[in-house]
Parts: sequence; structure tokens; C-alpha cells
Amino acid sequence: MTASDLWVLAQAAAISLLMALAAIAFGTLLAVALTPLAFAPWALGRAIYRLYIFVVRGMPVLLLALLVFYALASFWGRISPYAAGIVVLTLYLAALIAEVFRGGVLAIPRPLWDCAKSLGLPRLSILRRVVSPLVARYALPPYLNVCVMAVKASSVLSIISVWELTLASREIIERTLDVYRVLAVAALFYFIMCFAIDRLGRNLESRLAARGFAGERL
Amino acid sequence: MGQYRAWLEAYGAAFLDAAAWTLGVAVAAFVCALIWGALLFFLRLNGGPWAARTVDAYVQLLRNTPVLLPIYLIYFGFPLVGLLWPASICGGLALVAQNGAYICEIFRGGYKAIDRVQHDAAKSLGLMPWTAFRKVTLPQLLVYCIPALGNQAVLLLKDTSLLSAITVVELTMQAKVLTERTGAAYAPFLVAAVFYLFMVWAIEFLTRLAQRGVRWR
Amino acid sequence: MKQVWQKIFARAWTTPAPLVAALVLLFSVAAAEAQERSRLDEVLQRGSLIVVTLGTVPPFAFKDDKGELVGFDIDVARLAANALFRDPNKIEFVIVTSDGRWPAIESGRADMGVGGTTVYPDRAIRVAFTRAFIDSGISIMVAKSAGIKSLEELNQEKYTVANLNNPQMADRAQMFFPKAKIITFDTPSGEFLAVKSGRAQALQIDTPTADYFAATSATDFEVLPTLLTASQNNGIYLKPGDFKWWLWLDTFVSELRTGSLYPRYAEIYQKWFKKDPPPQKFYLPPAR
Repeated sequence: MTASDLWVLAQAAAISLLMALAAIAFGTLLAVALTPLAFAPWALGRAIYRLYIFVVRGMPVLLLALLVFYALASFWGRISPYAAGIVVLTLYLAALIAEVFRGGVLAIPRPLWDCAKSLGLPRLSILRRVVSPLVARYALPPYLNVCVMAVKASSVLSIISVWELTLASREIIERTLDVYRVLAVAALFYFIMCFAIDRLGRNLESRLAARGFAGERL
Repeated sequence: MGQYRAWLEAYGAAFLDAAAWTLGVAVAAFVCALIWGALLFFLRLNGGPWAARTVDAYVQLLRNTPVLLPIYLIYFGFPLVGLLWPASICGGLALVAQNGAYICEIFRGGYKAIDRVQHDAAKSLGLMPWTAFRKVTLPQLLVYCIPALGNQAVLLLKDTSLLSAITVVELTMQAKVLTERTGAAYAPFLVAAVFYLFMVWAIEFLTRLAQRGVRWR
Repeated sequence: MKQVWQKIFARAWTTPAPLVAALVLLFSVAAAEAQERSRLDEVLQRGSLIVVTLGTVPPFAFKDDKGELVGFDIDVARLAANALFRDPNKIEFVIVTSDGRWPAIESGRADMGVGGTTVYPDRAIRVAFTRAFIDSGISIMVAKSAGIKSLEELNQEKYTVANLNNPQMADRAQMFFPKAKIITFDTPSGEFLAVKSGRAQALQIDTPTADYFAATSATDFEVLPTLLTASQNNGIYLKPGDFKWWLWLDTFVSELRTGSLYPRYAEIYQKWFKKDPPPQKFYLPPAR
């Protein structure tokens, strides 16, 4: 493995990271819009939510990428595979993140709901002052899990000609047969990116820590 | 239409076989990963500062690297020290190693939701750490973490497709074999997707069942 | 009676029905014309060729250490661009993984494809192929230290052979060494690792790829002299139904192997395989 191989891998890592960050940003926005649907008073809303989560999470991401890319392309003509890749990842991550948020909302203890209602707070206020801070704390570790997964998830997009770290490492491996060394370097790149995201998240976690809850020391 | 019937006759059994492998490996790996993740979390809580740091390092390493690396290391590396295990076991071990790390993190998130009072109460009762963990912490953790654990189960199911790199003929590999032979662009993957969707539906059903069987505070 | 007809006539003009009928007719004519327009015309109008390929199959199509896409198939594609536009650089490569080839062709994202793609009858139902532009055989590679010297030796129960995920290798394994165990990988690197780690003792691989690896990264392996098959047709693939485009591509390949482009063909053949291609016609002596 040569220095220029290392440079190629570094460039590919940057592409993976950028795509992941974009998908996390858009995916979180989409998830914030989706999660209320899970608790909608009308059954149709809840059914739509469950259907979306079911289809997007249940299909292999490979197939999702193929379908989204070629369906979009038939509407819009030639589109960049990277743009389509970000759309695919966004749709996929939104499903995962919405489930994480939903778990966070469900984890709020019932007494807190009752307190908020008995205080007569308006719905929006409850959302802003009670639900959001608690969900942010409960959901942060699993949310970080999803963010870390996002960085690695872009590897399936190679089927629609997105060049990223996994494909780049595969190209070098198939030329040189130097499997372990190249995989180790790629793993190192992934580790640096994911670990950075994780540390940022932990920092956020400790700043949000609520007193009196067991997880303070952790 | 006749073509698809011919395919069904020729490859239907192969797809069912591949689906069985996928499900088998996924279920076994998930159960083991739950146990491994709980063990890791217990060590992190009660093992003292060095144990906590070791578990943390392990979790960080396995979470932040692609699971293909442990898969390759176990499948191709273990024979070099004389351990020639079958591919599904090697792949399963790698999946357990990684998902155990993810599950430990999920537990960490759920732990924060438990009121500290509970733990002080358990300690004041004089319960040994393992008993306290088993009877007080773990049940509550499982309750809080059900949606996230269900999510993880689905992700593990999809991760079994990586085992195609080490000769396990699971659903994605079977779809690839068919695509390679016939040049069909979508059909084999759609068939595999139907199987996956069915399995994911089963996981979601079980998750909802588990949630309903529990009373929220 | 005339008044009734007049009324109907007057009504007809004010309803949208005739307008719609006219538009439908116009669009169907346009569509029919669009169907008759060949990919060849589109390519010529665009001024560049879009080729889908793999990036992980040396020496057919792979990335060198600068990250540039190179290989025998890549050079053939450039010769096609040269034949169309007098410029081998009027070409764009779309690099996908092996399952991504067929959607790329079917959706029209690429005009044609290369990349060590073999012609199979099963595939030819959905994908059109030109004639072969190279006879890629299948060989067996073994570790030099293993001491296996012939194909017949492999046909024992104690041996395991690593295959690639393609149907011809599966068939050949059944034919030549049915007693040996088979494990199937989706990449050559997996096969080599299997032999290096002791999980297999031999591997099946395309002959040009075997020669490439034996000369570069797998010098502790050797290629058994017997071929499992002398010819596996690797051709250019494209979307079926477009006779004009297929005819041009097939004519191009024919000229490469047996006609006016033979010297260029011999040049790239030497470059990648270090030997001369088969002669233009079997009854002619090799010419340059």
C-alpha cells in the first residue's frame, strides 16, 4: 500500500463523512416531523407512521438506493448519484431516528405528563418545556448510535456509483490483495470519524445531564 | 410470467433456504448479543474504574469500525491459530461482538431514565451487586429500552447480509447469485426484500407485544 | 335532419374531445418517433460516450495506485469513443458494483457497459451482448507450497476449492472436481484469503486475472496449466431492443478482433496481457 493509496482513502473518507453529516441533518429534520405522527390522535396518522418505518427499515438499503435513484432519475433526468445517495440515506436515517425519538417520548414517566396537564399548560408549551428536554436526554445515546451508523451506512451506495470509503478500500484490495492492511486503514478512518461524533455527543450529554437521575455518573 | 414461474421452480427452494439461514443467524446472534451486552453493562456499572474503562474502550472500538473487519478477522484469522469454525459461527460471533457493544450503549441510555433512588434503595437493602442488577436494574432497563432494542434487532437482521463476504448463503447473497446469473436488475432483490420485510414485521410485532405486556410508570 | 347534424357539428367543436384526440395523436406520433430514435443517434448528438463499468476486476477494469480507472476493458471503451468521435477522451465512466450494472443499463443511465462481463444465455434474455472482445478462460490457482500440480489431483474429498459467484465456475466445478468441497466468495480477494488461511486449497479465477495476480500481488501462488475452459466470452453489454446501437457496437468489436482496428487491439492486448492476441482469422498467419 503506497502513500497515494492513503491519499485516495483519505479523500474517500471525506466523502463518506460529508454524505453522512448531510443525511444526519436532513434525517433529523424529517424525523422531527415524523415522530408526532406516531402519537397522532387519528389512527390513519399512526398507520402512516408505522408503514413508513416498516417499509424503509425493512427493505435492504441496497434496494432502497436502487429504487430511489432510478425512480428519481426517470422523473428528473440525470441526477448526481451523490445527491440521490443523500436522499436515500436521509429517508433511511429518518426512520431510525424517529423510532429513537418515539422511544424517548415513551420513556417520560407518567407522573410528569399528569403534572403538566394538571398545571393547565398549553400543548405547545408542554412540547417545548417538558417533552423536548426530556426526549433530548433520553434519546441522545441511541441517537448517537444512529449517527455513528450513518457514517458506515453510505457503503451500500456504491451500487449507484457513489464512490466512498468502503468502495475505495475495495478497489485497492482487489488490485493489491493486501486485505488486512487496507481494511485496517479504512477501519482507522471510520474510527476517527465515528469517535469524533461520539465524543461531541458525549459532551452534549454531560451538559444536558439532569440532576437526580441515575445516569449522572455515566 | 412463465419466466417467473420457471424461476420460482428453480430458485424458490434456494431462497427459502437462504431465508432460513438469515433468520437463524439473526435470532441466535441477537440473543447472544443481548446477554453479552447486559454482561458488558454490568461490568461497566459495578466493576470499578478499570473495568469501566476497558468496557468503554471495547464499545468504542466495535461501534466505530465497520463490522466487516471482525468478520474477516474471525473467519480468515482464526484458522491460522487452528480454529476452523464454520462460516455462520464466525460471522455470528462478529455480529455478537459488535451488537453487544451497541446494546451496552442502549442500556446506558435507558439507565439514565431510572431514578437514582431505586439504586440507593437496592444498596440499602444490602443486595449484592449482581442480584441488584438482576432484580432491579435489568428488568427496568429492558422495559425502557424495548423500542431501541427492537430497532437494534432489525439492524442486526440487515447486517447478516455482510456474511455473504464469507460464503454464508443468506438472502442477499442468494439475490446476488440470481442477479449475476440472469442479469435481472431488480427482481431478485425485490424477492429478498419481501422475505426481509416479513421478518422485520415479525420483529416489530414481538416488540409491540413486549411493550404492551409492560405497564408504564 | 340537416339541422340535427349542424347541431352536433357545432357541439363537437366546443367540447374538448377533438382537441384531446388531436393531441393524443400528435404525442403518439412523437412517441413513435422517439422509439425509433436509436441510442446511437443520442450518443452522436451528445458528443460523448457514457460507459458503466466495475472498478474491482483487474486487469479488465480497476483503479491504479493514483486512483485512475485503467484496464483492458477501459482501453477498449476508449477505442470505441475514438471510433465515434476521433477522441478517446470523449467518454464518461460510471463505476458501480456488479449488481449495479444491470439497472444502469436498463434505465438508460449508461449507453453501454464493460468490465469483465461474461455472456450467458440466461442474461441475454434481459441484456444484449456484442460478440466477445476477449476470450477469458477460467484457471485454477494454488499456493506454490501446496504441491498440487494438476486438475485431476483436486478431485478428492479432502480438498476445498474457492469459487467466485458466477454460474460457469459452479458448473465447471461439478464437471472437473465433483468430490471436492466448494465455497463461494463474491470477490477474488476473499478467495485468496481463503487459500492463505487454509480454508481452501485452490481457487477458480479468470485466466487473465490469474496471470495478473501471479505476476504482481500473489507471487506465492501459481496457475495450473490446465484451463477449466479456454473461452468465456466477455463482451460489451447494452440495453436490448436497440438494433442500430447493437449493430454499431458489434461491428466495432468485429473490426477490433478481425479487421481494421486489429493493430490497436494487439497494442492494448500486449499492454495488459503481455502476449499477442489470437490472429485475425484462423487461416491467416499472425500479422501486425
